[in-house]
Amino acid sequence: MPDLLANLALGFAVALSPVNVALCLAGVLVGTLVGVLPGIGPVASIAMLLPLTFGLPPTGALIMLAGIYYGAQYGGSTTSILVNIPGEASSVVTTLDGFQMARQGRAGAALAIAAIGSFAAGTVATALVAALGAPLTAVALLFGSPEYFSLMVLGLAFAVVLARGSVVKAVAMILFGLLLSMVGTDPQTGAPRLTFGIPELFDGIGFVVIAMGVFGFADIIRNLEAPRHQRDVVRDRISGLMPTAKDLKDSAGAIARGSAIGALLGILPGGGAVMSSFAAYTLEKRVARQPSRFGAGAIEGVAAPESANNAAAQTSFIPLLTLGIPGNPVMALMIGAMTIQGIIPGPQVMTKQPELFWGLIASMWIGNLLLVVINLPLVGIWVKLLRVPYRLMFPAIIAFCCIGAYSVNNSPFDVMLAGLFGLFGYWLIKHDFEPAPMMLGYILGPLMEESLRRAMLISRGDVSVFVTRPVSAGLLALALLLLVVALLPVVRRRRQQVFVE
Amino acid sequence: MDAAPPRPGRGRSPIRNPLDFFGGIALVAIALVAFWAARDLAGSRGISFGPGTAPRLFAGLLAAAGAAVAALGLLAEGGEAGRYPVRGPVLVTAAILAFAATIGPLGLAPATFIAILVAAAASPETRWREAVPFAAALTLFCTLLFRYVVGLAAPVWPWS
Repeated sequence: MPDLLANLALGFAVALSPVNVALCLAGVLVGTLVGVLPGIGPVASIAMLLPLTFGLPPTGALIMLAGIYYGAQYGGSTTSILVNIPGEASSVVTTLDGFQMARQGRAGAALAIAAIGSFAAGTVATALVAALGAPLTAVALLFGSPEYFSLMVLGLAFAVVLARGSVVKAVAMILFGLLLSMVGTDPQTGAPRLTFGIPELFDGIGFVVIAMGVFGFADIIRNLEAPRHQRDVVRDRISGLMPTAKDLKDSAGAIARGSAIGALLGILPGGGAVMSSFAAYTLEKRVARQPSRFGAGAIEGVAAPESANNAAAQTSFIPLLTLGIPGNPVMALMIGAMTIQGIIPGPQVMTKQPELFWGLIASMWIGNLLLVVINLPLVGIWVKLLRVPYRLMFPAIIAFCCIGAYSVNNSPFDVMLAGLFGLFGYWLIKHDFEPAPMMLGYILGPLMEESLRRAMLISRGDVSVFVTRPVSAGLLALALLLLVVALLPVVRRRRQQVFVE
Repeated sequence: MDAAPPRPGRGRSPIRNPLDFFGGIALVAIALVAFWAARDLAGSRGISFGPGTAPRLFAGLLAAAGAAVAALGLLAEGGEAGRYPVRGPVLVTAAILAFAATIGPLGLAPATFIAILVAAAASPETRWREAVPFAAALTLFCTLLFRYVVGLAAPVWPWS
């Protein structure tokens, strides 16, 4: 315990330096600004804004990126509530009751409770990250290659369970992502793989390129197809920003339960934020006295998933900082940013760079505080931004994305490839394939190959190593269980129900 | 990689879910291309993986999963293939490719301006009297932001 306090004190000392507070504030502001643009979620926001941090020192760069992440996540919730367009998968559930509240003129209360819930959840999660960081790092050191591999299989199984629609299609998307990650130079032999002789592909396909293509550009193409009334929506004034005392009382329990679910599920690799917002909403509906209010503007229906996804967003740093495994696409970008800064993510970060590790954790809490402080007064501005008609908005988004994709490597080829991935992503959407499992497969691919290679070397080619080591066997059994459960007809029906109004 | 979207015929075919059927077939095709591209990569030697082991493993699994998706598309009733609009996808992609093609020879400002205008043409709602000044203003903003604030190392004009 004294250790924990000393560590947190160190963290706050780092995070509260004027420069780092300013960077955190800038990150939160810019992240929210970009995140409220319809169709741009945290992944695309971070991808676009990543180049902004190249010139900063490592700690400052990561603090700013974390700020961008929370800002974008909150911005995504804002569009869910105001215009019924979720900025990212984890705020899909928020649209159910949030948009109904907005229609009833209670957008202010919904936005405020989302911010307050996020802050409360963020506080819980920050404490949890601080408390669990050290013990989990110790556990991480016990993990060998077979365990790493099995843990990633578990993460991918989660991604399958989370995907909407067909389980087989989600599995296919993961495999496609794994295959995509093979493009480039083999790290062990230096042989170019699947590059078709194109030199620009020798370094692999950039994460930003794929993310911008299948999320950013593909969404724009699809939005252009949608009837106009589904896009620009905010017409009415938002009245009464502050939630009433009754609102606060009603949502207190939901915030607490949402935070707990989110904090726990966020630790697991494989898109904890999405699953937790979904689980928290289902739980609230279960425990509510009148479940019928849900979907018709119940404030708990906003408070619970918003708290959960924020708590999970924070605890998803745990697998990244301790095991070096990115739990979701955002964490993969953080890995990218860390590598650019010369830091190798993993257990050694905490011991070798304590000021970075604890500074980042402290800045999570500060970022959440700043979110509440700046967003409550700024809601009016975000709404104005949403009044910009889509016919002007989408060319602007395309311009930003083009420049963003170009800036990563100063490479026109990357921009071109992102454009082609946009077309491909549109095709995926048309055929009901989800891009999210593909991204996760793409992220985990190189790590999986490496741990598989090593595990095979260590076991002298004996595949049974994955089931004879207890931790690895347990993880694989859990993954199998998840897949079986996802295939059960009851669960399948319920999975669809939550998303269909 | 970017397979042309198949256009399934409607109604008469025995394919009950054309979306899944053609989607699965396309994945199988992608997997086969990957297999072919990995043909020269060395495979496993004894217990140690070669560079070709994992790509072939993943391509093989993808082919199997794609075949399963296609098979289910034959068996289970499902989504009708929607219409494929031309204007949006083509012009959005054209705008991005235009940016990629002009950023080198022309520089940041012209490339941004051209990309915005080509993109604007993708929507029937665009009003040109509004779009052109908007593109100019946005180009100015992007140039200032990325060149001078972010410090992007790209020439702004063809002559700079």
